[in-house]
Amino acid sequence: MSLVNYATREITCKIVYYGPGRSGKTTNLHYIYGQVPGDRKGQMVSLATQTDRTLFFDFLPIDLGTISGFTTRFQLYTVPGQVYYQTTRKLVLQGADGVVFVADSQARQLDENIESFQDLHANLAEQGVDARQMPLVIQYNKTDLPPEIITPMAELDEVLNFRNVPSFPADALHGPGVFETLRGISEQVLRRLSTGERR
Amino acid sequence: MIRHSVMVGWADGPLKRYVDDARLQFTVLMHRSGQVLAQHGFQSRMDVQTACALSAAINATADSLGTMIDGAPFRGLHYAGAARQMHLAQLHVGDGVLLLLSVFDRESSLGIVQLYLDELHAALAASAPADEDAPPALAEDFERDLNTNLAALFGKR
Repeated sequence: MSLVNYATREITCKIVYYGPGRSGKTTNLHYIYGQVPGDRKGQMVSLATQTDRTLFFDFLPIDLGTISGFTTRFQLYTVPGQVYYQTTRKLVLQGADGVVFVADSQARQLDENIESFQDLHANLAEQGVDARQMPLVIQYNKTDLPPEIITPMAELDEVLNFRNVPSFPADALHGPGVFETLRGISEQVLRRLSTGERR
Repeated sequence: MIRHSVMVGWADGPLKRYVDDARLQFTVLMHRSGQVLAQHGFQSRMDVQTACALSAAINATADSLGTMIDGAPFRGLHYAGAARQMHLAQLHVGDGVLLLLSVFDRESSLGIVQLYLDELHAALAASAPADEDAPPALAEDFERDLNTNLAALFGKR
């Protein structure tokens, strides 16, 4: 639920990076953290296991600056991708204004991508959210890997992108596609606030 | 469709009184999802957002853990540190549940906080606006500002 303060002209939105384990959700946030100037970001909080797998969530607040006269802030979250953290994913997804689904382009991860995408829709439905109305973009990460071990983007789109939402190839570790993905979801989320749509 | 919550400072007055009466160092009122509604005492807006994200996580975890081991969510979490104490409460306001994080030192006590929390709860319930439609917040051509600002953030100009 986006928060709009008309008195102080501030907007705050919650964006959740969702996807299977090791698809690169945390890597996206790390890259963004590394790019954004210090005065435009908060501390990046990672609740992780000793092996740096996300245990609860990663959290990064960023200040997008003034948009249409409103100071606009985004709160970026990741969910833990591993299957057994189902409860945690539901908790983090609460109140999301938009979702970035980070898919792993490796061919051997196709089933995990599908399972996670179905899990996302099930969790949204459980929270009473019509998934078709939720701003969503898909990022196909790790496209820098050798072509013989990844699934082509067109095939991934065919399997996952039945809503025909914006999709972006990415190499989150080194940056390509991270900015474009964030811009894509930002546009979708903020467009809701330019049309005054309500749930 | 996605709801956006309109904040016009309705919580500021009650929260300010609560801080003074309960002698708090800082406090923040938030949605259960971790979105900030109002705060007093934090110097950095980014710190507020982080505090809210972590508070929402604690609350959600306590809800689930309490339900699992005691059949009901844990409520009114309190932690006493060496120099500061924190209290996390759920407040039913209007149709929703809000969270309130209160932080205090030796100038106050858990008893005082709980005492004034009841007054705050009543004041918030009385002043909370009805959920109603609001005009669009952003101009239709917001993309220009968004693209310019994101490019600047990522050093692309």
